[in-house]
Amino acid sequence: MNITINGEKEHLTGQTIVISDLLQIKNVESPEMVSVQLNGKIVNQERFQSTSVTENDELEFLYFMGGGENK
Amino acid sequence: MTGFTTTAIHGIRSKENPHGTLRVPTYDCVSFEYEDSKAIQQAFEGKRMAHTYSRISNPTVTHLEQTLRLLSGGIAVLAVSSGMAAISNTILALGSAGKNIITTKHLFGNTLSLFEKTLSAWGLEVRYVSMNDMDTIDTAIDTDTCCVFLESITNPQLEVADCNAISVVAQKHGVPLVADNTLMTPYLFNSRKNGVDIEILSSTKYISGGGTTVGGIIIDNGTFDWNKSAKLKEYAARYGSMTFIARLRQEIYRNVGACLSPHNASMQSLGLETLSLRIDKSCESSLEIAHFLSRHSTVQATHYPGLPDSASYDIAQKQFGSQSGGILTFDLKNIDYCFKLMDSLNVIRRATNVNDNKSLIIHPWSTIFAEYRDEEKCAMGIRPTMLRLAVGIEDIADLIKDLEQGLEQL
Repeated sequence: MNITINGEKEHLTGQTIVISDLLQIKNVESPEMVSVQLNGKIVNQERFQSTSVTENDELEFLYFMGGGENK
Repeated sequence: MTGFTTTAIHGIRSKENPHGTLRVPTYDCVSFEYEDSKAIQQAFEGKRMAHTYSRISNPTVTHLEQTLRLLSGGIAVLAVSSGMAAISNTILALGSAGKNIITTKHLFGNTLSLFEKTLSAWGLEVRYVSMNDMDTIDTAIDTDTCCVFLESITNPQLEVADCNAISVVAQKHGVPLVADNTLMTPYLFNSRKNGVDIEILSSTKYISGGGTTVGGIIIDNGTFDWNKSAKLKEYAARYGSMTFIARLRQEIYRNVGACLSPHNASMQSLGLETLSLRIDKSCESSLEIAHFLSRHSTVQATHYPGLPDSASYDIAQKQFGSQSGGILTFDLKNIDYCFKLMDSLNVIRRATNVNDNKSLIIHPWSTIFAEYRDEEKCAMGIRPTMLRLAVGIEDIADLIKDLEQGLEQL
């Protein structure tokens, strides 16, 4: 499965993955530190375990730990 | 899901722990290095999970935040430098000039001073209501109300508000309910299940344990729809349920700079591990001392939500169960009696803090509320005859004996 995370292409094995599992793969230990957009739409944290990512999806992970303006 | 104490001790196990330390190290550092320029750019843009600067985040502080998130059931936690920093950061995130806050005069003295003196000078209006009068709260809220603020048990009046009932009124108007839950903590009172949207803790108290370090906690319970907030609507479109914490982390907290030090976070994570044990002991002793004082002929009145004759007894039992916290107040004949009792105590210490391992006594009228005029203190429910006793975890027989010998000298 090919997806895009923060503008960068990534290849994952399998046809689908839920966001909470994807965050684990990406070593995101603090889900309260990140907001997730899937194909331009915000995914609330309570839906991380039930929202699936599939082929060609585009994700934006925005972490609240940055030092600059998160425009 | 493990129990409260197991979660407090083992809840978070970091993957990035090369030495396998059983305790999370204290990362006493300001900044963090990256492998190349692109990595640091991504970190600053928020596109990479990485700490940049300890005023914004730090691994030791994050560990404390994550553990409290698990224990509270909230969706996000932010640790700050004190309980007052937790309150001021929260109100700065929710309010602004022209907005108003609905609260009560029965609050911790510094909280009242923050609202009445500091924030009102910046144009935030403070509207006082009785937290037992739902109609008054309903009438006081308008389209400029930024939040309803209360304490789960007021300090030192020891009144308990019906959070669920107040939440219904606040929700009707699309206003978040903020509760300072310092005296109960998530162990005794699950604010999320009782209608509270934002929980505040002074982790200096029960969580620190032993009075070691100052700190504060903000918990977003994830229960409020931020699209209803005129001030945060713009954030809500981008951050959804994470709106409040995003506004805090990306603007208020970062710019105000009231960060928790890694050392304090480490001490408080250690305190958290024994929180339930200390609270159980403190509550058990508080009830026994309350019964002792209420039967003593020299004591004019004893106030503790766990006493059946307390006006807050029923709601305390409903919200907190059988444990009503570790603080009680009692009244003596006059100020001289209060001072004489304090000066005669040998085990109980004269100091201003609560929920320490040590039992502490103070005369609120002449100390915490000294900045207010007498009539203002009376309006806040503070009496010159009142003593506040914060019960620690000493042997109960020694505490009773200490009070007994002191009262006999009056």
